Amino acid sequence: MNRRQAPSGPLQALADALTAEYAAVFAYGPIGVRLTDAARTAARRAESAHRARRDALVLQLSAAGNPVPADKAGYALPFPVTDAAGALRLAVEVEERTAAFWRAALPHTTGADRNRALAALTDCAVRATRWRHTAGVTPVTVAFPGRPG
Amino acid sequence: MVLTCPVARGRTTPHDRTPGHSRRNLLRAGALLTLGGATAPLTGCDLFDRADEPDPAPDPLEPLAAEARELAGRHRAALATDPDLAGLLTPIAEAHEAHAGELAKLLGRSTSPATPSAGASADGGDRAATLAALRKAERGGRESAAKLCAVAPPERAALVGSIAAARATHVEALK
Repeated sequence: MNRRQAPSGPLQALADALTAEYAAVFAYGPIGVRLTDAARTAARRAESAHRARRDALVLQLSAAGNPVPADKAGYALPFPVTDAAGALRLAVEVEERTAAFWRAALPHTTGADRNRALAALTDCAVRATRWRHTAGVTPVTVAFPGRPG
Repeated sequence: MVLTCPVARGRTTPHDRTPGHSRRNLLRAGALLTLGGATAPLTGCDLFDRADEPDPAPDPLEPLAAEARELAGRHRAALATDPDLAGLLTPIAEAHEAHAGELAKLLGRSTSPATPSAGASADGGDRAATLAALRKAERGGRESAAKLCAVAPPERAALVGSIAAARATHVEALK
């Protein structure tokens, strides 16, 4: 099983989304400590939203007797987070990257799974927009959330 | 119309030059009408056949593409009445135009018609009302795209899903 390619089926797509959620939860740790006030609260809320998706995926995969990818002790961040600006930049990137995994799950899912993947993609895209707004990045939206490139 | 013309009764010779219509002329006219009647349906069939071809299977992406153009038109109209909103609305209008372009590609059209409607813009200079109307339109657009995503074939699900998510981010940006 090759993890780094486009998902080969629904199980792989959901397993890939789970690894993205693990990494997002991890990243919000260093993000949260660099933020204050409303931004820190928003980071906490985002982190708990990613935890909820993670837990739902673990449950869904294991309930069906499928292999559940394990969480890691740490994930490599794309750049070191040393201040609030870096934390906001990372938050935008985390949401964009996670959105891409959920978008990739759409073609491999149907019914309730498809709807859950779309809800997750949408939530990530909306949070990315909020973080861009907080960071003063314009425009705050992208034309095709989750689309690579 | 022929039936309302006066008929010269009792005058059946072709040499007759008096006003009115001889029986022979009437018969001739009738023959022409019959010919016309016979050819008209043929032409009609051709027209209907051609019109029928795209009709039987209207692509479910058509309404989504139309909605993208309509949403772009709303933002462009709002921009025209309140140019100070350019920073906020231009990228959103461009996103809708990009969506319409991608959908047109999937629909096998090389270009998508330019955004028409303006009507929706709540003018009168009330910016809050304008933005509220745009938010409402985006919310409706997100819902219809999400519904379509749920039933879209795999090769279309990602694009339609991105469009639904984009419209949700527009609602957020317009707050």
